[in-house]
Amino acid sequence: MKEDLQSQLISELVIESLEGLDAFDHEILDLERGGVSPDSWNNAFRIIHTIKGSSGCIGFNEVELVAHAGESLLTVLRDGRMTPDAAVFSNLLRYSDALREMMRSIEEKGNEGDADHTQLVRDIQALHSGITGTGKPGNQKQSFGFFDDEAETPVGFAGEAGPESPGSSRNTVDKASEKESSAVRVSESIAPKLSSDSAIRVDVSQIDRLMNLVGELVLARNQIVQSADQQADPAHFAAVQRINLITSELQESVMKTRMHPIGNVWAKFPRIIRDLCHELGKEVSLAMEGSETELDRTIIEAIKDPMTHIIRNAIDHGIETPEERRTAGKLAQGRLNLRAFHEGGQVNIEISDDGNGIDAERVLQKAIQRGLVTAEQGSRMSHREMLALIFLPGLSTAEKVTNVSGRGVGMDVVRTNIEKIGGNVDLYSEPGKGATIRIKIPLTLAIIPALVVTCCGDRYAIPAASLVELVRIEGDQIAKAIEHIHDAQVYRLRGNLLPIVHLAKELELKPSGHADDALFLIVLQAEGRQFGLAVDGINDTEEIVVKPLGKEMKGLTVYAGATIMGDGKVALILDVMGLARRASLLDEGDRQTRSRKALEEAARSAHSQAQGEMRSLLVAHVGRNRIAIPLSCIARLEEISADKIESAGKIEVIQYRGRIMTVLRLSAVLGIESARRTADPGDDPELLALVVCALETENVGVIVDSIEDIVEASIQIEIREGQRGILGSAIVQQRVTDLLDIKELARMAA
Amino acid sequence: MGRTAITVDDASTIRRMISFTLRGAGHEVLEAADGMEALTLLKARSVDLVISDINMPRMDGIELTRQLRALDRHKATPILLLTTESDPAMKNKGKLAGATGWLVKPFQQEQLLAVVAKIFAR
Repeated sequence: MKEDLQSQLISELVIESLEGLDAFDHEILDLERGGVSPDSWNNAFRIIHTIKGSSGCIGFNEVELVAHAGESLLTVLRDGRMTPDAAVFSNLLRYSDALREMMRSIEEKGNEGDADHTQLVRDIQALHSGITGTGKPGNQKQSFGFFDDEAETPVGFAGEAGPESPGSSRNTVDKASEKESSAVRVSESIAPKLSSDSAIRVDVSQIDRLMNLVGELVLARNQIVQSADQQADPAHFAAVQRINLITSELQESVMKTRMHPIGNVWAKFPRIIRDLCHELGKEVSLAMEGSETELDRTIIEAIKDPMTHIIRNAIDHGIETPEERRTAGKLAQGRLNLRAFHEGGQVNIEISDDGNGIDAERVLQKAIQRGLVTAEQGSRMSHREMLALIFLPGLSTAEKVTNVSGRGVGMDVVRTNIEKIGGNVDLYSEPGKGATIRIKIPLTLAIIPALVVTCCGDRYAIPAASLVELVRIEGDQIAKAIEHIHDAQVYRLRGNLLPIVHLAKELELKPSGHADDALFLIVLQAEGRQFGLAVDGINDTEEIVVKPLGKEMKGLTVYAGATIMGDGKVALILDVMGLARRASLLDEGDRQTRSRKALEEAARSAHSQAQGEMRSLLVAHVGRNRIAIPLSCIARLEEISADKIESAGKIEVIQYRGRIMTVLRLSAVLGIESARRTADPGDDPELLALVVCALETENVGVIVDSIEDIVEASIQIEIREGQRGILGSAIVQQRVTDLLDIKELARMAA
Repeated sequence: MGRTAITVDDASTIRRMISFTLRGAGHEVLEAADGMEALTLLKARSVDLVISDINMPRMDGIELTRQLRALDRHKATPILLLTTESDPAMKNKGKLAGATGWLVKPFQQEQLLAVVAKIFAR
């Protein structure tokens, strides 16, 4: 046989057989569960029959021999001459593993491997030895024969040596030449159905190459489209539009060829689950939903192992033994759900079980024990953050190490692998009720829609998958819109507080100078949290071709890659998660905890406003007085140098963000003696605490002696007439506090 | 002189091997993945040889043989059944259905060429 045909046949045999064996396992598992489909035995038989025939033809005799042993058993089972018991099912699965093993060996090494299958063959034969003899394959001497020969010669004689005798079928075949033309036409119309599934197998590298070329085409298309916009040649422009459309369609089609249903990965789970359950003495039913959801093949490859690991974990650690479950008032049989669905340009995969769930406290204790977090950090963690600790390297919550899911290495690897392909993984659990792991992954890695933004003169691409919305804040509203809580900037977006990350700051870029006429916030989603990325400008959305960064730049977690823009220049692709990490929005660092605490406080304040009872107040001191300002009217807290205060007419002002802002010294306005001593002329200019309050039309700076705290309190104000600028007094934190009336104060100053 | 054969098998490995071998010998080869496909095709055209597997989904080789023999066009078309089964009953079924001969699977290319040459020589 010619070399290339031989290797082609072999790779076809391997693919066909491995697919067949997966289907075989399915049938056997169905039958084991008591499935009554009459076709199941027949299907299982046919699969093995095919493997045996095909591998024999190519010359893999060991496969043929092993396959034959099972085929004989399956014949007996198919014909109902034997009732299968547990041993039969186990041996059939063992048998399919052996065949699979040989196929893998053929694929990798080109031979069937040196595993000894005599015991397996003997075991299989023993199962039905009482019913049939143990026939060996190829025990016929002659390899072919003609029935009409047999009619004339004793059975068993026919074959190559047989005389050619005249018979009914001897007539030469009707040439049918006069019908040939019409026949050809008809056969052509049937042709698409002709091959087994009207599908061809194409080498993956071929498709990858195609994908690369399409990627280049997309880039070239982008360039052409951009230059065509600037020209005034309608005919040319129309042609460009067509190229534009065709390229998009081509790209889509090529991407489709790379798509695989996720069910291909899931197909092996029933078997894994069955084996695990046997080993652990558990009962689990598996439900799959959305197995037709399609994913890029590179992604399918990448999620195979993480998913297997998660499932193993769920059964090993999550789902309890039948006794435990009964005691807990659950069905003895545990439930494992796999669910896949598209959402917002991403694929979501959920793996949920109704097992014992994960005890967040215990995870935290383990993490503290292992020194992964400090007790102090732990005390400030939310439930969700505690659960997320499970993804840290070197953490296992299993009481004992089992050989099923190993030593707790894994969940960190799971997360790393999924993040590698631009996905993320989340864990939800309710102790006693079960756990859900949600994986979000992009549909494809090669060409993605992205938002192109400008910051400090450079362009950056942000994958559209993590994009939530865009916010534009006009220059004069920036000060009012951006609130400061401790050192974190937040923006109030429909009642939610959005932490702000400045791209220029995170990337340590030099500001280009012209800023502040408008602020663009890109609301992004990272690991279930949203944040606003502040940039200088928003350009457009574009399909970009992701080019990996060189290995010198691999360590830069804020970039996911690079791409070539329409004008031929390179733009870096931002890694939203990396960026959030860098800005410490997702990390466990101090700064994050602080900003989170601040956020939580602020969130409570937002909540309180809606409720109308609780209020968040900034508490400050002026002299011996304690005063409070509603947080809702505070834009920023600043420290200014006393020498920055200038006079304009009778009032004091400072230059603040390019505008003139009135400054009120509370001590002077309220006639309270300041606790601060008056500065000596020779001293360094004193630093003053300035509360920037946002009013409808302008900002007013209020100078206090010191800022104490932000508190949330349900207050009862006792209105006090007589003192302008003070609304009244209230008890805040067990102390009498004056509540300022900022609007009135501003009027007093004017 | 090249003839036209059709290989009917649900295993694409087998189909490919047969097509390759016979094409190498100067014949034209059609393919079908099961009896049903083959029958649809063969209702519309003639061939010089049918090489069919027995065990296939939807329609097996025995039934295909029976159906083909019921068609005028294929009353005399040689039909070769591939069998891995040493079971004489299966061969008998093939015979009763009207098959011309049988070839044991697995077979080597040479064996296939030999049996095909014999059939075409008849």
